[in-house]
Amino acid sequence: MSITQDQRLARTFVTLADTLVADFDVLDFLCLLTERSVEHLAVDAAGVILSDQRGGWRPAASSTERPDLVALFAVQAEQGPCSECVATGAPVTSADLSTPHELSRWPLFAPAALDAGFRAAAAVPLRLREQTIGALTLLNHEPTELDAGTLTIAQALADIATIGFLHHRAVTRDELLHEQLETTMQQRAIIEQAKGVLAEYGNLDMDRAFARLRDYARAQRRPLSAVARELAEDILHPSAIAARKT
Amino acid sequence: MGNDRRNRLRALLARHDQEGPGSRLRHICALCVKELEVTGAGTTVLSRVDDDGTQHHRGLVHASNAVSTQLEDLQLVVGEGPCVQAFATGGPILVPDLAATYLRWPAFASAAAELGVAAVFSFPLQVGVARLGSLDLYRDRPGPLTPARLADALILADWATAAVIEQVDGHNTSDISWMADPHVEIHQAVGMVKIQLGVTTEVALLRLRGHAFTAGVPITQVAKQVVTRTLRFVPDNEPT
Repeated sequence: MSITQDQRLARTFVTLADTLVADFDVLDFLCLLTERSVEHLAVDAAGVILSDQRGGWRPAASSTERPDLVALFAVQAEQGPCSECVATGAPVTSADLSTPHELSRWPLFAPAALDAGFRAAAAVPLRLREQTIGALTLLNHEPTELDAGTLTIAQALADIATIGFLHHRAVTRDELLHEQLETTMQQRAIIEQAKGVLAEYGNLDMDRAFARLRDYARAQRRPLSAVARELAEDILHPSAIAARKT
Repeated sequence: MGNDRRNRLRALLARHDQEGPGSRLRHICALCVKELEVTGAGTTVLSRVDDDGTQHHRGLVHASNAVSTQLEDLQLVVGEGPCVQAFATGGPILVPDLAATYLRWPAFASAAAELGVAAVFSFPLQVGVARLGSLDLYRDRPGPLTPARLADALILADWATAAVIEQVDGHNTSDISWMADPHVEIHQAVGMVKIQLGVTTEVALLRLRGHAFTAGVPITQVAKQVVTRTLRFVPDNEPT
């Protein structure tokens, strides 16, 4: 790894640490994390799933919200490296999803990933003490064997995510983790509602609507979830973010 | 494992619905007491949402016992407590030891202790920003909900949310499955219908739900039609 890459990586950790401030927003943070994962791990897409605490897993953030990728992240909550990773609490990698072995290993996930244009996948756990609360998934268009160094960085990013997830509350009680996980699920629902508002108002695709929402929140230096809530509660008019188009 | 729990709860609730009189919410409260090792369970339902969405009318309190009813009333009177906070944060508030919260909620904690309440677990009933009520569990001795019981409580709170929507819009079906799964399209469709009709998110949700009922199709299917722009709602209530 060149010095430039090291420096960029160092800067990312500082940026992530810097977002751990008073009005910290979990989804904002996870969104940034997936974008930076793509950059530093030389992968084509990244996503985070979190425990829904009902026995299932739900997508919380991804580097892009392209519909085929959103669909794939939904599938991988059921099957694939990601669900294997949260079940075992250990990293899971697949260098080539198109091999017969991998196709029979993940009969739902592997074909879905290939359909979406991805040949390689890996997942590292988001772990807090003995609990696995989610996973960071990495996807590549080309067959790729992730080396140990890359996996170490991926795990470091996942660890930062876990710290970020809980940092703004003293984690002295398990209840806070449970409350925060469920609150994040609800915030994700609000973001989907806000995407719908923008998509309809500006005649945008859902991924464009999300990008507008995210870019607006960043330009305003405001939490993503707060902006989404204001849109869905009529406090912020969609015209602030997108031009009216029918 | 998650599905086993869900299926078991679903079967129990179906039995309650068949055998006992009363509403789905009452049955959910009864099931909470039976399955979650709590002493009482209650829901406060915002009974009506006006078209402008601004007026929430505090509605029925369903409770499994008198203390639960008083606990629901208490929070509305003193304006603080786990249920009030759950509304503010949009997530559950889990208080395994109420005695440790005298500084956080001075009025609520002491009054609740007088009622014999030692632990409280509040779950907001909401769909995104659409706030519909809360499900509040209490126990007469302190201690956390185990992860398995928390999972059950969250599932039951999902179903209570679906039950409130049915109650508010006056339709009654047993289709509660949609609340249990992460159907992001429902949330997206609610946002789109909100703009199409120029209404609040709450009203948009009810219109979506109402159309699904009238058309006799699952709400997930209606949502998909809206998101793929094959169905539009127009302000005179009739989708085209």
